[in-house]
Amino acid sequence: MIRLQNIEKYYANKGLKSYILRHVTTEIGQGEFVSIMGPSGAGKSTLLNILGMLEEPTYGAYEFMGTDVTSLNERKRIELYRNHIGFVFQAYHLIDEMTVAENIEAPLLYKKIGSAERKSRVADMLDRFNIVGKKDLFPNQLSGGQQQLVGIARAVAAQPTIILADEPTGNLQSAQALQIMELFKKLNEEDNITIVQVTHSEVNAGYGKRILHLLDGVIKEDVAPELQS
Amino acid sequence: MFKLNLKIALRSLWKNKSYTFINVGGLAIGLASCMILLLYVAYEWSFDRQFKDAEKTYVIYNNTSVGGQTFSWAWTPGRMAAEIREKIPGIAHVSHSSYPQEKLLSNGQTRLKGHAVFADPDFLRILDYKFLKGNPEGVLKNVNAIVLTESAARSLFGNEEPIGKSLKMENDDLLQVAAIMEDIPKTSSIRFDYLMSWELYVKKNPWTKEAGWGSNFCLTMLQLQDHKRELAVRREIKGIYHRNQPGNTNFAEIHPLTKWHLYGNFENGKSVGGKIDQVRIFFILAFCILLIACVNFMNLSTARSEKRAKEVGVRKAIGSSRGALVSQFMLESILITTMGMMLGFTLMELSLPYFNRLLEIELIINYGDWRFWTALVVLTLLTGVLAGSYPAFYLSSFQPVKVLKGVATKGSSFVLVRKVLVIFQFSFAACLIICTAVIYDQLSFVRNKPIGYQNAGLVELPVQGNLRSMSELNLLKDQILKSGAAIDVSFFSDRLNEGGNNTFGVEWPGKGGKEDVLFNNRSAGDDFVKTIGGKMVAGREFTSDYQDSMKVIVNEAGIKAMGMKDPIGKMISWDEERYTIVGVMKDFVMESAYRNPSPMFIAYNEEAFQRVVLRLNPAMNLTEALGKIDKIVTALNPEFPVDRVFVDERFEEKFRDEKLLGTLSNWFGGFAIFISCLGLLGLALFVAEQRKKEISIRKVLGASTANILALLNADFIKLVLIANLVSFPIAYIIIQRWLSNYEFRVGLTALPFLAAIAMSVVVAVLTVSVQSVRVAKANPIDALKHE
Repeated sequence: MIRLQNIEKYYANKGLKSYILRHVTTEIGQGEFVSIMGPSGAGKSTLLNILGMLEEPTYGAYEFMGTDVTSLNERKRIELYRNHIGFVFQAYHLIDEMTVAENIEAPLLYKKIGSAERKSRVADMLDRFNIVGKKDLFPNQLSGGQQQLVGIARAVAAQPTIILADEPTGNLQSAQALQIMELFKKLNEEDNITIVQVTHSEVNAGYGKRILHLLDGVIKEDVAPELQS
Repeated sequence: MFKLNLKIALRSLWKNKSYTFINVGGLAIGLASCMILLLYVAYEWSFDRQFKDAEKTYVIYNNTSVGGQTFSWAWTPGRMAAEIREKIPGIAHVSHSSYPQEKLLSNGQTRLKGHAVFADPDFLRILDYKFLKGNPEGVLKNVNAIVLTESAARSLFGNEEPIGKSLKMENDDLLQVAAIMEDIPKTSSIRFDYLMSWELYVKKNPWTKEAGWGSNFCLTMLQLQDHKRELAVRREIKGIYHRNQPGNTNFAEIHPLTKWHLYGNFENGKSVGGKIDQVRIFFILAFCILLIACVNFMNLSTARSEKRAKEVGVRKAIGSSRGALVSQFMLESILITTMGMMLGFTLMELSLPYFNRLLEIELIINYGDWRFWTALVVLTLLTGVLAGSYPAFYLSSFQPVKVLKGVATKGSSFVLVRKVLVIFQFSFAACLIICTAVIYDQLSFVRNKPIGYQNAGLVELPVQGNLRSMSELNLLKDQILKSGAAIDVSFFSDRLNEGGNNTFGVEWPGKGGKEDVLFNNRSAGDDFVKTIGGKMVAGREFTSDYQDSMKVIVNEAGIKAMGMKDPIGKMISWDEERYTIVGVMKDFVMESAYRNPSPMFIAYNEEAFQRVVLRLNPAMNLTEALGKIDKIVTALNPEFPVDRVFVDERFEEKFRDEKLLGTLSNWFGGFAIFISCLGLLGLALFVAEQRKKEISIRKVLGASTANILALLNADFIKLVLIANLVSFPIAYIIIQRWLSNYEFRVGLTALPFLAAIAMSVVVAVLTVSVQSVRVAKANPIDALKHE
């Protein structure tokens, strides 16, 4: 479903190109659970952002479900993005002025889903993530783990084909982190949602079926976790 | 979506109460000021437009050229209307009427002194006043008929049916009430309380029957059948004087009725504006103040952008398009503007009565008028969009990746924009401070200038009814003097504070081919100069010791204009009579207080006496003196009211326009400063928050509260100083132009400019310090611990 061909990303600074990504070519299929690993500054987040259409590659081709993303205009891209991609952030990034329920509802509004359908999906999500009791609270009234649950619920509510998670457990304690990873696994296995996560943790990476090792913008390894030493 | 956005907008407004308060408050004051000024502009603009065919109606001006200068007056000969009707095609109606003049009406013991207009029947065809009772057709054909306005009828007849009742005018002519019309609206240039036939005017003033083309005493109005004829009529009418009286160099000009009020000034026979200049200033002022309020909103919104950036990033990351974000921010802006409008509206309603008293006009909000509501909605939306557009496009332009990563969003260009906006606000405020200071300066300068006589304690009474006979007048004088209420009594031909008759026809020895001089001609009784507290420069004034019927007193300006040396005993001639100059009087201010008094001669013509002038006895209690005077006047002239006037009160009216301008620029300058300071307070609030950490570190390193204050305030003071510098040349040009209208004007000093700097800096520092002090005094650990 995702095909990257020779993706390059660099910033030109006083004539010097500083590369973030070089010759990245890979494919990700429907239903995969991929972890992107690598040291700081390796270009993990940039790669994720490019996958999520939040950033554009300087060079190279990106096909998403058969559509060439780089040639799309902004409106079409947002359309594609809205319907297929869900994002989960390390810092949760909930909207402070919205309640839990409203945060979950927000992407549905942008997808122009009818009111009744919205209500039922939000109720469904609250139920599924066990946060019914918190639905009228504001983000700053929740713990980090709870906020990330809401963040994931928000991503899942839009019924995306792929969830992109940028260090989703980076700000969490290990017990909560474990819970979140279990959740991802479940979503991947039961709902057949493709998941791509950036992570530093070997443990987290172990939940996935495939690991991309990035170093200085280049894919060094593309392996299954079982095969790791 | 809309509902959620609205809810979120309200929540965020509630959460940031201080910003909301600053924004809503600023916008409310801005909108209220703007609306009041716009109401005033609309009021001035609506003058004379209430008539159905106002657009096709013109007033005829008479242009006289003397010595290379052209003077224009809307005074025309009585014969003009008939001539136009006969000779010029394409005219629907043409009327001539008298100017409004005071006439006393009495219904038995109920009396009313109001303004009367005498007009021919076409007058009512051109100006379609609304009649409440009676038929407008034919009322002006009947020499004994009178039309009353509603309030005149009420004060004369109370609740009785007025139609058909008899009234006496000036205790003389018996008239019958034929119709009642609506009161003349305040926005009408021709104002009167009753309307009578032209025939009656001719009957009362038989000389008008014979008056020819040299005698200008009417207002002539015409209405075209069709707009297209305007140019042709303008051309044809121009030479009407010359065609009818060979040798007459006057020419006639038509001036649209709808422009009469606003474009009343003429220079060399051409309309050169007038009140419109002032209206234009207020119009610009209205929008500038609104703009200042909008700038506040823009500044605060962009300054707070870092707080909003995350929201923008998240929204974009969950699928919002830029358009959706723009509309969300616009919604917030319009929401705030609507709140501001509601508050502003309340403020306006509360302050309108005050402004009406101040401006002596009647601004009312007509709630039944759709145009009012449209204007209100348009103004709200316009303000909302104007204030919201920049922040909306700025905020929605954030790239989600950057803001979510926490990369700083304060682009230096936006900080610059903010600075420029603050400079704009304060330049405007400083400009207003300077202008206000100079206006007040000019006012006090002219007020404190000697006027050539003592107007305090001077009282004027009209000569009317029984007093029209000289013997009664002298009796009055004797009785008042005897009563001790006044120490001097004299007579004068006009009000002391107004213009009156003037003439170019004065000849003097040695005039030769020299230019004609426009002389005011007046008449005064014995002891006139002594009574008003004036001064004689040479010779003597009229006294009972002499027989003065063919003598004149000339003022200094007159002597100077004639270039006369040793004027006493010289003869001047006017109107085929020769007069001996017996005295030279020091100039005194009658007409404009801003110009040198015009040349004037005062004759001793008993028939022309229209006013009794009294110098109150300073030793007597005022109420007692006035009571005595009233009693004496009423005893001699029982049919008429006393109508006494304090000369100094009337004199103050000369400053009305300037006082008004001063008060308005004072008020709105104050508002402009206040709104700008609100904005500054908001920015200070923001900067203090942004620099909390830096300040804490500085404090830990040993900076004192004063150091921190200086640090925080310096940036703002710099901006305010730059704003002042920007405003100086602009204010200088504006105020020079304003001053150049006056012959007497105050010299422009550095003082108003220094005042502007001092005031704006002090106010700005105080405003900013409210916030800075709090930050500077805060415990540094609180801020640092948070990291």
